[in-house]
Formats: sequence, C-alpha cells, structure tokens
Amino acid sequence: MMARTTALARATALAGATGRGTAGFLGFLGRFAGFAGQVCLSIRPPFQWRELGTQLVVIGWMSLPVVALTALFTGAALALQIHAGSARFNAEFAVPSITAIGMVRELGPVLGGLMVAARVASSIAAEIGTMKVSEQIDALRMQALDPVQFLAVPRVLAALLAMPVLVAAGNALGIMGGYGVGVARLGFDGPTYLRNTLEYLEFWDVASGLIKGAVFGALVALAGTFHGLRARGGAQGVGAATKSAVVMASVMILAANYLLTELFFSA
Amino acid sequence: MISAQDLHKSFGAKTVLRGVSLTVAPGESLVVIGGSGTGKSVLLKCLLGLEPPDRGQVDIAGLKQPRPHELAAHVGMLFQGAALFDSLPVWQNVAFRLLRGRHRMPRGAARELAVEKLARVGLGPEVADLFPAELSGGMQKRVGLARAIVGNPPILFFDEPTAGLDPVMAGRINRLIRSVVSEAGATAMTITHDMRTLSDVADKVAMLRDGRIHWQGSRDEALTSRDPILHEFVTGGAETGET
Ligand SMILES: Nc1ncnc2c1ncn2[C@@H]1O[C@H](COP(=O)(O)OP(=O)(O)OP(=O)(O)O)[C@@H](O)[C@H]1O
Ligand SMILES: [Mg+2]
Repeated sequence: MMARTTALARATALAGATGRGTAGFLGFLGRFAGFAGQVCLSIRPPFQWRELGTQLVVIGWMSLPVVALTALFTGAALALQIHAGSARFNAEFAVPSITAIGMVRELGPVLGGLMVAARVASSIAAEIGTMKVSEQIDALRMQALDPVQFLAVPRVLAALLAMPVLVAAGNALGIMGGYGVGVARLGFDGPTYLRNTLEYLEFWDVASGLIKGAVFGALVALAGTFHGLRARGGAQGVGAATKSAVVMASVMILAANYLLTELFFSA
Repeated sequence: MISAQDLHKSFGAKTVLRGVSLTVAPGESLVVIGGSGTGKSVLLKCLLGLEPPDRGQVDIAGLKQPRPHELAAHVGMLFQGAALFDSLPVWQNVAFRLLRGRHRMPRGAARELAVEKLARVGLGPEVADLFPAELSGGMQKRVGLARAIVGNPPILFFDEPTAGLDPVMAGRINRLIRSVVSEAGATAMTITHDMRTLSDVADKVAMLRDGRIHWQGSRDEALTSRDPILHEFVTGGAETGET
C-alpha cells in the first residue's frame, strides 16, 4: 500500500514536472517566436550597413573553410556509401546523380548549417551575452539604440544572405569529393561522372537546398542573439547562453530541415 | 526634473525597492547613499526604464514612465561598471552619441570634442585611440564619465563616479561634477559611498535603506544629522565606537 502510494505520488510528481517542463518549453518557443517577429519588424532604417558588412565577413567568409571541408569529406563518403548500396541493385551508374542530389538537397545545407551553428551561434551569443552582463546593452539603449535593430538585425541578415552562398560552395565541394572518390576509387570515368551529375540534377534540387540554407542561417543568428540578449549573471551566464544558443540552433536546424523537406518534396 | 513616486521592484522572491519616492528639482544635485546591495543601482535603472519597476511612477524631464530611447537626448548616464563598448576605441565611446542620429557631427569635430571631454576627466589625447580593455578600471570609469557628459545633457546620472580612483583624481572628478551642475545648470543624481563626493557635490542627500528612502534632506543637515544610521554612515562608524 505504502509502496503504491509513493509510486503513485512519484508518477504524479513526474507528470507534473513533465507538464511544467512542456509548458515551460512552449513558453520559451513563444518567446523565441516573439523575438523573431521583433527582429523582422526591426528591419527598417537606419540600417547598420557597416555592421552588416562586418558580419558578412565574420559569419560568411570566415565560415567558408569549415563548411567547404565538411562538404568535401561528406561528398566523398557519400559516394562510397551510395556505391555500396547501389551495387546491390547493379545500379552503380546512379552514384554520381544520387550523390549530387543527396548533397545539394540535404547534406550540404544541413551539415553546413550545423557547422555554422557551432561556429556562429556560439560566437554571437558569447559576444552579445558579454555585452549584456557588462551593461553595454543598457548603455546602448541609453544612446537611443535598439539592441535588436543595432545588433540582431545585421547578424540575422548577414547569416541569411551568407548561408546560401556557403551552401552553394559546399555543394560544389561535396560533388567534387564524390567525383574524386568516384574516379580514384570506384572506377568511374571523369567526364562521364560529371555528365551524370549534371544531367540528372534539377533546378529545384539546388534551389531547395539554398532556401534551406537561408532559413538555417537566420535560425542560427536568431538563436545566438536571442540567448545573448537574455544572458544574466556574469561569465557563467555567458557560458550558459552560448551553450543554449548552439543546442537550440542545431535542434531547430534539424527540425526545420524536416519541415522544409515535407513542404518542398512531399507529393 | 527627476521624480519617482512609490517605486517597487522585486527580482523573483527578492524585493529590492519597497516604495521609493524622491524628487530632484531642476538644477539641483542629489546624492544617494546607502549600504552595498540596498538597491541604489536598481533604483537608477528603474528611473531610466532599463529595468521596468513593478509599481510606481517615474517622471523625467516631463516624460512619464520614460523608455530609455526617449531619454537619450536628455540624459547622460555613468554606469557603475563604466559599460564602455569594447569593440570601439575610447574616443568613439565618448563621441558615440555625436556620431549617430539625425544631427550627427563630422568625425573630425566629434573626435576633437571627445578629446576635450577626456581632458576634463584627466585623460590625455594618447588614450583616445586605445580600446577599453587596454585601460585600468579607474581610467574606464573616467571615459564613462566623459561619455556621460558629452553633448551637455541637462540631466545626469552617476553611479559611483569616484569608485576606483585615487584621492586626487576623485577630488578632481567631484569638482567636475560640481561644475557641470552649477555652471551648466544640469540636474544630477549621484550614487556614492564616497563622503567627499557627498560634501563636494550634493545639494540634497537621500539615504536608501531596506528598499525605502530612510532619510532625506540638505547636505548640511546630512552632515550634522543625529539620525543614528545616517550618522554612522557619514562618519564611517568612527564616533559610535562600533567595530
Ligand atoms: N538583474 C538582477 N536580477 C536579480 N537580482 C538583482 C538584479 N540586479 C540587482 N539585483 C539584486 O538587487 C539588489 C540591489 O542591487 P544593486 O546593484 O542595486 O545594489 P547597490 O545598492 O547598487 O549596491 P552597490 O553599492 O554595491 O553598488 C542586490 O541584492 C542584487 O543582488
Ligand atoms: Mg550599485
């Protein structure tokens, strides 16, 4: 009897905690959505052109090596895997096109997005979080500058504009990786590999991946600025904000990727 | 004018302000004292709209419940931690408000004005191109002060302007604040633990304790008051014989 009541009490407590957790999570998502809306409404003059330029370099240009390397190795591994799979159906001829499709539709944007999340969401959250806990955000507000307009908007726009370019570069490198493996290890003839790649690749395959990239870029910068502006309580608070930003950006990229794939490609 | 009526502020379960009311008349200098952690900085942030008060009214320069951006044109603020923008060199920190907005100045003129304000807080032109991280704490504080007074705002808030300064420099900063108030006619509210600031800068004094204004009056009354708590604060407990 005792045991059952405690078990029941525990279960109730757990359900309560889960319920509160869920409510907390929904409230949190609501606040994030509100923040995203606020960022959109803050895209108005005066524009911070200089800051936008800086952020394009910091977020876009400086992420290029890591995104390119990620794509190169992924494309190479993908070609090997698809070869192994397609050999079971005697369909090795499909390796170039399926590698390319897998790369431009999925792995280019998703892995590129995750790498940018690790690099950019963290640095944005740490930078803005430090400004928050050292009262620099308050000082900005006292100078009539809205931190959302002044800090968040240029970062979100820069990430949104830079990510499709990064994804495009990653796609090219990924296909090159597949090509290298195809020619060097799988016995493909170079020109044939490239012709197969291009012939079966459709406009929408590429465009959908670039759109995904833009969405992921915006999510990364939104997560970074959102958590940075909510940081509290010194170095520890900045650390917590940084971690939350990366986790949130990564999970949102994967969730958004599924939703966008449904939207673009479900019959 | 700066006025607050019945301000309340809590952070979660922690109540910091329990009904603070005060008024600073135009051209007057109020010094706020009180123990560490009694909510002096929080009071300032509530006045400026940086922290929303839970209850109560604020009126600054005729603006009711002002938002920070509405105050920007009227108010200069020195933060307790200086709060310099660490991505900008010192002179751009000082000239920040001159370089932006509809009435922005040419960079050369803004820089000249910044260097002039730096001189007033005892910093030479050689610091103008340094970054905040290259300065000592006391130097950062003085840059923050220069940033607060640039553009001659009619209302000034200083959160511990002399903390971290040597006595000579502290005296100089006190005289600067005094002259900004008496010559330019600014209204000022200064938070301090420094009794020299109190005697040099204050027209009026208010003491914050337990989330309320425990005492307020003129400077001379404050210095001679027999209120035991205020007296202990002003004399540093020297005459009460406590250890
Ligand atoms: N953002 C915040 N969240 C939670 N508590 C806070 C916050 N800001 C201040 N407090 C609390 O409010 C109280 C008053 O803080 P405040 O900074 O106003 O003290 P103070 O009077 O300025 O002290 P000092 O003279 O040391 O600067 C402190 O106990 C502090 O812990
Ligand atoms: Mg304080």
